[in-house]
Amino acid sequence: MNKLLVLLLVALLGGCVSMAKVETGERAVGDRMTVTIEGPWNHLDSSSLGPAETWTMEGLPVDQLLLYPGLKDGQAIHARGQGGPNAKSFEFRAAMQPDEIVGLFEGMLTRDGSRFRLMRLEPVDFAGQKGFRFEYALTRKVDNVQLLGLGYGTVSKGELFAIVYTAPRLTFFARHRDRVEQIAKSARLKN
Amino acid sequence: MKRRQLLAAGGACGACLMSPWLGAQSEWQTPGRFPRPPLDTDEGGLWALMDREETRLRRSPFVIRDPALQAYVQAVACKVAGPHCPDIRVHLVNTPLFNASMAPNGMMQVWSGLLLRIENEAQLAAILGHEIGHYLQRHTVERLRDTKSRTAFGQFLGLFGLVGAVGQLAMLAGMFSYSREQESEADRIGLTLMRQAGYDAREAARVWDNLLLEIKARKSGEAQNSSPMFATHPSAEDRQKILLQLAEANPGGEAREAHWQKTIKPFRHEWMLDEIKRRQFDETLALLNRMIARFAGEAEFLFARGEVLRLRDGEADADAALKDYLAAAAVGGEPAETHRSLGMIYRARNQRTEARTSFERYLSIAPRAPDAAFIKNYIAELGS
Repeated sequence: MNKLLVLLLVALLGGCVSMAKVETGERAVGDRMTVTIEGPWNHLDSSSLGPAETWTMEGLPVDQLLLYPGLKDGQAIHARGQGGPNAKSFEFRAAMQPDEIVGLFEGMLTRDGSRFRLMRLEPVDFAGQKGFRFEYALTRKVDNVQLLGLGYGTVSKGELFAIVYTAPRLTFFARHRDRVEQIAKSARLKN
Repeated sequence: MKRRQLLAAGGACGACLMSPWLGAQSEWQTPGRFPRPPLDTDEGGLWALMDREETRLRRSPFVIRDPALQAYVQAVACKVAGPHCPDIRVHLVNTPLFNASMAPNGMMQVWSGLLLRIENEAQLAAILGHEIGHYLQRHTVERLRDTKSRTAFGQFLGLFGLVGAVGQLAMLAGMFSYSREQESEADRIGLTLMRQAGYDAREAARVWDNLLLEIKARKSGEAQNSSPMFATHPSAEDRQKILLQLAEANPGGEAREAHWQKTIKPFRHEWMLDEIKRRQFDETLALLNRMIARFAGEAEFLFARGEVLRLRDGEADADAALKDYLAAAAVGGEPAETHRSLGMIYRARNQRTEARTSFERYLSIAPRAPDAAFIKNYIAELGS
């Protein structure tokens, strides 16, 4: 875990990350999505973190909530250059089916050699649209920590809206799961 | 082995590099088993570090915990290592890249991407023999003494542990590789050991011949992205040529293909799914084209190639994928996902009856699949 913390610290310092408190209530995520939260979260802000807003309850690398407020066709789901200059890029395409979109998240989460196991993929409404929900288990390569995750997504007007939460299986995932489910249920899209 | 003996061994091997194959074989003698070096020496410290890494490795969820497969690979390592067998411990690791490494304390890692790619026991023996060659010549210790920077050495040690990202591993391997002479020496020793163990030495050249197909398939040609071994070793072309010349000078031996294929069959599906998830489509297609040519009639490989083509989604890829899925189903013994993927293609083409039939077939084979709820929804959408 120490090595992971050092790597994270270097990444955060290198990218000049700022942290802000996200207060209870309705919050805009990007231009087209809103969510309503009960209880505050921490929002990490940096261009180095990629196209998703990154929130956390416990602090990175413990838990991470990624909120994608409209990813366009051809846009990568992670920061450019993340994982090294030769790392495979995972790009969203508007015609992708839910299983392919989940495959993108799997690809992003396993770029460092971590192992991903899909536990459930089901159709649900998300942000007022037909969408999908998935659950997964992740074994992190760098420290062998076992994590659980859940995600929601939908494609609207060719753009991907999604939230993806990952936290250690022991204690933390169960602690925050209901909050994440509540955020997912509160998500709305603006026209 | 004391440092003087080590230098003597190195000198002897320097001589064998200039000798013809048979001469080298007769001059090189397997050294005796190594005693544990004193802890207050650089080598002793290195062993202690590697012991710690090995303890972590044993607990890692990435280790393949199958006693039969483990025993099989360990037995091949023992045949090749001869009297050093008790000192060499093989650990199989689930990582979809072609890689094996040998630490100076006898800890060997073999990754699943390598196990997927090799075709027979002789090819496995060639890889293990090469790594054991590094061990017998104590190349890591030589590198330790050559590496002046502590930071650089720390990174070099990282190559043997499980820590660090896979992408970084390839970069580190390139920066702190064994020398060309050390690699050539390990190749020669490996070839000698595998031949002494009764394997066909030509299979060593075939390993690199096969990997060349994948390297050439990459658009960028950056082989080190797919394996740290590409970054640490002489070019695959050079290596393939030299190994073939050496092997042809000493013919005979077995490949033991059927035994190997039977042993890995229970793991192949999972390893192939891991390979597909890398999304290095062109490289994986080169691998699968080779496998399909060699093992005609294996539904698993046809399914896997179909998956790569479907996910790549280039021009005419869907047609080619459909052909592979149908061929896999015709052969029989196809993975359940073959029918899910057929359903996806038919659905995208609005061939509703075929889509529904394929999805229903998928769920009949895999009713508890993680995406069953989603597939049931598709079936409901498609109507009766």
